[in-house]
Amino acid sequence: MASQDEGFLEDFRDALEGLQLNSRFEIQNLTMIARESTEEALVISQALQDHIKRAAPHKKLPALYVLDSIVKNVGTPYTIFFGKRLYNTFMEAYASVDMATRRKMDEMLKTWKEPIPGSIDTRPVFAPDVTRPIENALMQARASGNQQLRRMMGPGRQMPQGVPYRDSPTPPAARPPSQSNGGYIGGPPPIPGVNNAPYGQHGQPPPAQYPYHQPPSSQSTPQPPANIPAFQPPYHGSYGMAAQPTISTDALKEDIQGLITAFRAEFARNPQDPSIQSKLKALLDLQGILQAQNLPQDQLVLIKNQIAGLAVTIRAPPAQTPTPVPISQPVAVAPPPAAAPKVSIDSILGSGALAALLARGSGTPQASTPQPPPATVAIRSPPPQRAEPQQSAAPADPMALLGMLRKAGMLTAATPSSGSTPVPSLTPTVPLPFPPPGIPTGPPSMDNFTGDIAFNALSLKQFRPHLVPLMFEALGPQCTHCGRRFKTDDEGKKKKMAHMDWHFKVNQRIAEAEKSGQHRSWFVDETDWINTRETIDEDRIAAPGDASGTQGSSSKTPNLHYIPVPSDPVLKNSVCPICQENFKQIYLDDAGDWVWEDAINVDGRIYHASCHQEVTGNVAGVGTSNPYTRGTPEPVLGKRKAEDELAGLRGKMKLETA
Amino acid sequence: MSIPGLGQFSSAATTAASAAAASASAITTISLQPFWEYRFEVPFSSSLTIRLLSGTAEKDGTELAPKNPYTFSGTKSKINTWLGCELEVTSDNPGAYDAYTAEHAADESPLVSYLNLHMKLEGLRSTAAKAMNTEAMGPRVLVVGPDASGKTSLAKMLTAWATRMGRQPLVVNTDPTEGILSLPGTLSAAVFATLMDVTTEWGGTPTSGPAGIPVKLPLAYYYGLERPDQNPKLFRSLLSRLAAASTSRLSEDPDVRHSGMVIDSAAVDASKPGDLDILAHIVAEFSANIVVSLGSERVTAELARRFAGQKTSLGEEIAVVGLDKSSGVAERDAAFMQRVREKAIKEYFFGDAKKNLSPGTQNIGFESVTAWKVAEAPDSTSAEDDDDFYDPGATDSVVEKVEPSDMMLNCTLAVMYAGTRDPPDAIRDANVMGFVYITDVDEKKKRLKVLAPVNARLGDRPLLWGSWPEPMVSLLG
Ligand SMILES: [Zn+2]
Ligand SMILES: [Zn+2]
Repeated sequence: MASQDEGFLEDFRDALEGLQLNSRFEIQNLTMIARESTEEALVISQALQDHIKRAAPHKKLPALYVLDSIVKNVGTPYTIFFGKRLYNTFMEAYASVDMATRRKMDEMLKTWKEPIPGSIDTRPVFAPDVTRPIENALMQARASGNQQLRRMMGPGRQMPQGVPYRDSPTPPAARPPSQSNGGYIGGPPPIPGVNNAPYGQHGQPPPAQYPYHQPPSSQSTPQPPANIPAFQPPYHGSYGMAAQPTISTDALKEDIQGLITAFRAEFARNPQDPSIQSKLKALLDLQGILQAQNLPQDQLVLIKNQIAGLAVTIRAPPAQTPTPVPISQPVAVAPPPAAAPKVSIDSILGSGALAALLARGSGTPQASTPQPPPATVAIRSPPPQRAEPQQSAAPADPMALLGMLRKAGMLTAATPSSGSTPVPSLTPTVPLPFPPPGIPTGPPSMDNFTGDIAFNALSLKQFRPHLVPLMFEALGPQCTHCGRRFKTDDEGKKKKMAHMDWHFKVNQRIAEAEKSGQHRSWFVDETDWINTRETIDEDRIAAPGDASGTQGSSSKTPNLHYIPVPSDPVLKNSVCPICQENFKQIYLDDAGDWVWEDAINVDGRIYHASCHQEVTGNVAGVGTSNPYTRGTPEPVLGKRKAEDELAGLRGKMKLETA
Repeated sequence: MSIPGLGQFSSAATTAASAAAASASAITTISLQPFWEYRFEVPFSSSLTIRLLSGTAEKDGTELAPKNPYTFSGTKSKINTWLGCELEVTSDNPGAYDAYTAEHAADESPLVSYLNLHMKLEGLRSTAAKAMNTEAMGPRVLVVGPDASGKTSLAKMLTAWATRMGRQPLVVNTDPTEGILSLPGTLSAAVFATLMDVTTEWGGTPTSGPAGIPVKLPLAYYYGLERPDQNPKLFRSLLSRLAAASTSRLSEDPDVRHSGMVIDSAAVDASKPGDLDILAHIVAEFSANIVVSLGSERVTAELARRFAGQKTSLGEEIAVVGLDKSSGVAERDAAFMQRVREKAIKEYFFGDAKKNLSPGTQNIGFESVTAWKVAEAPDSTSAEDDDDFYDPGATDSVVEKVEPSDMMLNCTLAVMYAGTRDPPDAIRDANVMGFVYITDVDEKKKRLKVLAPVNARLGDRPLLWGSWPEPMVSLLG
């Protein structure tokens, strides 16, 4: 298949670059490539959206038509990938094209809100959550003129300077209908390039009805493909996926668990390698999703493919030696291999996939983790009633997956251990028995150990060998990354898990943060400091669906935290007390109002939610609904009240003179 | 250089340094028996990287993670072991650093008494946590001693050990000579619930980005002078503010309350009654119930006499215990300490090798700056005064409004959490929002060039200007 060929993406890009006009043939061809390479859907959709962004204004519409065609004729997983960035892609293009093109885009957008004509699937092409923000933005833009549009798109974006736009379509007849894979016209043709993929396995009609094969009668008027009535229904299911054996969630979970175990062990061996860490992070995220939700087959297949693909598509860092570094070697300061690609759940499943998956599961109530309103992204997936022959499921052998990973050099041959981090063996010259003889066994109680210590120099200077292990072995083995100790009981294991997770997340964020400038924060003020509660092993919580690396593409889904723009004139002019910067005002259609983005109100003061969290470690205001936050914010405590208490407490704490 | 264990490399300088290390480095393996110490002094111009190959090792109570590189520069410190260890030491300039191994036996090491002290404190914390009485409080320990007795090192050790046991002690710095998580010239407090970054003094404070070792959140008050006796009135007033905030935190935060406080103090001279007065003031304001006196029998005796029969508000005896000073406290001469302060200011604005920060530079007119000067006011009359509490009714102000001038050049000023029109006492008592550094003064055009941690309007906040830390001429050099 095309994906086996390293050059397919190159072909796709080249074809895109050459796409000057609304050429039906070329659009078909590009759709074909996309259809035959669903396992590369992520890179394809990225390439396409990047192209739309970069292309000269007159090339944008044809490229958008390619997107339209792929979504309508291939569907999942492209719908997911495009959906997340659709607002940006669409709005940026819209801002830079002329009026005639905008009308075409309006028409195309209209079709996205409707089911594909003739399809038995009654859902719209893109979910309303994807299209509505675009519509709202356009309505606003029309209401306030181009200024508004420009403002929405941010500074620096220029309006087109009348680049001549040709939108005369190339009549289909003007092009030879057949090349290597031609011959679409009239009836279901043989499916080219899919020799071994029995599309009709589930008794569906052959999905081989290609787009734009309507009689070339509408050629006289330039029409966006979206308006062509003969646009074909989406295929039932996903190309290239129906051919796969049914996947059972359990098998998939096992695979992922196996991989996680393997990666944990690998991570313990190579703590310096960020790529291992990020892969592990992605796997853990996936595991969480699978555990929380029932996903439809097509997504399971997608996940499985991508996990398997992880093994073959990612090259092993060259310097990956599992053997211990000899002592004589200079301190291991080799930078991480530059080639190691960053893997996140988004890069496994595509940008926005996590949001989609989470949104998908939002119907399943989860007692412990109340989800904020999901940012739903359309998922074109088969109707659930499709009978899945469960018994035919051939759960993939996790060992086979591990084998693949190993072969690809991602894992060492060593059998993955339980993930525990070995403490370096040590032979102390002074034997320090633990528990010390004569001390009652059982959970060590400090009182048992310290009762004989008195606050005088003589008692304090006496060496008590049995106390030393309390600072070491009794606390459990060390974290290999930071040296903190964790007990091996259930609670300790849980803490360690949370701790490792924290390392992963922070490390990822460090990598991201290095790209942008950082600065020292202001210290918090007295009241906030008093009300701060320490948080351990908690990281800033990414909004569900904003798993990673989607900054700059999320103007559609603004930060989870926002407040209506205050009407109080004083508050309206306030700045964030932490960074002293203004709040960003945006129109949020979900709220139906102008809001301050990334803002929270804590005790009557408005902060940037991110600043506040950076400083306090807490997501104030959402603490109770936040599964990660242990330190529930204190009840509202006005400054005056706090000061009163200060005074009172000080009195209370004064020394009593005897 | 690298986030321990995670191997992030953030600066070109780091890469250059490691390249240099690879070519010209000397690698030594050090074997330490239990109770031994590896003492090292690295100048500011070079670095020393230490890895724990096997066993356990700690620096000021914080354990090193196995195999992780820890890089030190401008440091005089030591690594000790309770169970024995093997260290790998790599220098980028073998001629530049100085190191030796101190081969203690158990009965020679002051660390033994420190560990016993910690265990005793831990017993008190555990009792407080289990107590039915919701006001039960963990121990409040004040560490005192003359110059170079290892006070700060012991405070750090007690903090790190408590944190290792899962406690969240409140660390209080009452020594304006050095800062804790803040710049010199401030009094500060911070809860330590997580590991300290052993390559720094006390760890990092929040930035706009993530941190591989959790940052700590300081509360700071600006004193602006080097020693408490330069303006005892102001010093006491600020101590009271700090104590009020600290006790509030304790009373509202059970984890911190059960863990108690570790309080570091300025060098004490037993021949100066004023110094002892200040310590008594600290004990009173923070309800300290344990005073650990290092390396001076005279100080121990004076304090024991003073606190005999006194009880804290919780009805506790005040225990005074004298212990040996930390072994191998390196001589840190004035020039070295000046570099340490300069480094602290640099790191505040620009970060360190692990994380580069980008401060903002602003050009502001004199008219939009509200500055107050903290002046010296040695006060001999209050020394005998038995009532050593801050009197909130006192009216004579200890700060004075000033016009910007070229006297401010190269000075570090505090930005206060107060309004520019607030009365002087309110400004003086406010806590510190951050610091600015004056890089240029143009008296003709009446403009200041200011380095600030973030690009923000400074005009809304009053600035406090003291003489400590001293002007740093070469900060930007
Ligand atoms: Zn760790
Ligand atoms: Zn802010």
